[in-house]
Amino acid sequence: MAAPPSRVVFLNLAQIRLPVGALTSILHRVSGVLLALAIPLVAWAFARSLANPEGFADIAAWLANPGVKVAAVLWIWALSHHLLAGVRHMLSDVDVGSRLWYARKSAYTVNIAAVLIAIAAAGAFW
Amino acid sequence: MKISIFRYDPERDSEGRMQDYEIEPEPHEAMLLDLILRLKGEDDTLTLRRSCREGVCGSDAININGRNGLACITPIRALGERAVLRPLPGFPVIRDLVVDMTQFFKQYVSIKPYVVDPGPMPDKERRQSPQARERLDGLYECILCACCTSMCPSYWWNPDKFVGPAGLLQAYRFLADSRDRDTKARLDDLDDVYRLFRCRTIMNCTEVCPKALAPSRAIERIRLMLAERAL
Amino acid sequence: MRSVLTGLRAWLVQRVTALYLLAFIIYFIAHFLFASPSDYDTWRSYAAQGDVKLLVLAGFVALLLHAWVGLRDVMLDYVKPISARAVALPLVAGALIAIGLWMLVTIAPLR
Ligand code: SF4
Ligand code: SF4
Ligand code: FES
Repeated sequence: MAAPPSRVVFLNLAQIRLPVGALTSILHRVSGVLLALAIPLVAWAFARSLANPEGFADIAAWLANPGVKVAAVLWIWALSHHLLAGVRHMLSDVDVGSRLWYARKSAYTVNIAAVLIAIAAAGAFW
Repeated sequence: MKISIFRYDPERDSEGRMQDYEIEPEPHEAMLLDLILRLKGEDDTLTLRRSCREGVCGSDAININGRNGLACITPIRALGERAVLRPLPGFPVIRDLVVDMTQFFKQYVSIKPYVVDPGPMPDKERRQSPQARERLDGLYECILCACCTSMCPSYWWNPDKFVGPAGLLQAYRFLADSRDRDTKARLDDLDDVYRLFRCRTIMNCTEVCPKALAPSRAIERIRLMLAERAL
Repeated sequence: MRSVLTGLRAWLVQRVTALYLLAFIIYFIAHFLFASPSDYDTWRSYAAQGDVKLLVLAGFVALLLHAWVGLRDVMLDYVKPISARAVALPLVAGALIAIGLWMLVTIAPLR
């Protein structure tokens, strides 16, 4: 670019009012990264539980650990948000709910539903 | 009421600062632009763009209380007791509320915003049926104010590579035009990692468009055109 | 990778894998809710069935492809220096491929 290197640009996210869909979208990204980071763990737990009876017992005990349970609730939130937001996107692709009014409603729904699912999971764990 | 305005003079300041003004709207002043112009009358150094003062030219797009909009069609009554005015986010500031739109227009030009038809020139005009013309509704009304593009996170991260919502709305406007013969090249041009597909359908663009257009929907339509062509 | 999975193709891959994963995850959740494997033998004999093996393997392939397109998108937005990208992109791709191979050697021999 021909522009001089450091020009003043206003881009303070705390001072920009982001619509609800932007929250759904950034959480879609955050949850996706969390889920991706968890892939090695999921793969490890899957492989270990199938290796032998001891491995299966290990994973069962591991899942009962309180720290792991907290992480699992976070993971369930991430999965729920990612799936719901993903479905919302794919419906929007084919013109279902792509109008602003519906998109706002569905964004609220996704944000809240994922949290509710995580709370329900937490309830089931304890 | 109180109006806080972003001030930046490239010859004196190394960064922007906020300046507060107290001003009471007069009965004849309905829109935010009226107030800013009165302030400018008192403080000549205050710099902004405006022209039509009725939402047609697109030159007075600024960030108003965190949201992009046109000062000339933003009612004072909708603002409450306090207005915070900043230049369009993500665009380099030239001075106060005036931003450099070079990159924005480069992206706009890059989608070839004109009908392309290599065939022989018709004797009179290029005809279009009323139905075909109707397909351009919701597309041609864009005034290139950049409210949408400046509110788009995907554009913030890649302004040099992602066309942005305003440019893509116009890309679709010409893809949808029955007189245009350049569909294949237009679609090819957009089928890479950046130009179209940086859009994550956040819909900030559609949220803020002062003309109530829906760039996010146009972008979805382009993606469907690409998909239909491939399958 | 850059030339193979870009633009429309990456977008389609993201959606096709998303649909598969959606169905797969719903099926898996249902399975665990209604027929939770309580001991090693049930779990293993379930996982060793031919069609389950295929479903799970396809699930991992879909998951890793989906993760690749998604993580690459994130990096294209936030990782600006070319040098950092030159490190990060192959690193992530390598890790995903390694996990894929690991799952292949885990699942394929199950009887
Ligand atoms: S689409 Fe709307 S917000 Fe974007 S440039 Fe055109 S008129 Fe402005
Ligand atoms: S929908 Fe696409 S173009 Fe519009 S603001 Fe979001 S990312 Fe930008
Ligand atoms: S002054 Fe022309 S759009 Fe506001």
